[in-house]
Amino acid sequence: MIGVATGWYVYGVAARRDGLEAIAQVVGRGPLAALVAEVPLDEYGEETLRERLNDRVWLEEKARAHEEVLQAVASIAPVVPLRFGTIYDELADVERLLDTQAASFESALERVRGRVELGVKAWAEPSRLAAALGGDEPAGAEPSGRAYLERRQREQRLAAEVAARSAELGENAHRRLLAAAVEGVANRPQPRELTGRDEPMILNGAYLVPVGDDALHAEVERLAAEHESLGITYEVTGPWPPHNFVET
Amino acid sequence: MSSRELAHRSGPAPAQLADVLERVLDKGIVIAGDIQINLLDIELLTVKLRLLVASADKAREMGIDWWEGDAFLSSRHRDGNSLDSRLRRLEEKAGLPTTPEEQ
Repeated sequence: MIGVATGWYVYGVAARRDGLEAIAQVVGRGPLAALVAEVPLDEYGEETLRERLNDRVWLEEKARAHEEVLQAVASIAPVVPLRFGTIYDELADVERLLDTQAASFESALERVRGRVELGVKAWAEPSRLAAALGGDEPAGAEPSGRAYLERRQREQRLAAEVAARSAELGENAHRRLLAAAVEGVANRPQPRELTGRDEPMILNGAYLVPVGDDALHAEVERLAAEHESLGITYEVTGPWPPHNFVET
Repeated sequence: MSSRELAHRSGPAPAQLADVLERVLDKGIVIAGDIQINLLDIELLTVKLRLLVASADKAREMGIDWWEGDAFLSSRHRDGNSLDSRLRRLEEKAGLPTTPEEQ
């Protein structure tokens, strides 16, 4: 990239292994390997990046690229994901990062070694949950304002009940999934704008599980079977690089 | 629940963008805590960090907030012609107690 100012984007830090070079450029120091890419600063510089981040197409492309590199790395070595947009001036800066933070990277790698992150999302279908709570009101003619008003009040009470019960179901599911995982975290449910689904999300959990361990999947199956009549559905995503389990 | 939804994805099935962004933009190690995007010369572990889009908070400041909002409180994102707001206007006109905006 002669003539263009560049920086060094760091995807993550892995346990050093043969084969990492096939995925991304490697900066190796002792047992650690940073996965890097040279990026033009006219695209990743401070000012342009502000604009780019508002460009959904650009953001999606780059975020997925970041994720894909980490996925590939995770398939052959323990890896600590860095947050999107970590860029250094010089490769020597990346080397110094590995040197000065060697101990914390190594303990972070130890935490995730032989483990993967799984996502579990649960969705409520409010009308089915309302019906299960006994709020199924027969629809009929509304002859008077009073009847209308009473019906509105019933609906409001029911909606509040449904919301409370949804939250409770989500919390209970998270507790049960935690028992089937090494660690877990319940993140804020994603909003409809982002999921593109009408049903509200009632659980957005991430769980760290041993590679090849089926306990979490089995628990999700049990939850799904138990909650089917309530209109709750579950979705497992991953395996992911351990994004949720590297913060110190 | 389809078996596909429960299946452990071992192949390169495309992840939902929401899940990717949530992880890539809001998780992972932040090298120096909350680095401000405009702190170009920050001294970090004697390393000069050029730039870091540190967090979702930062992205929010930049106006990327479309993943924000509580799943149960999304009405602020709806336009004024949603059923809810039309109903509220009717109720106000009729002198009836109004439907709470968010529940």
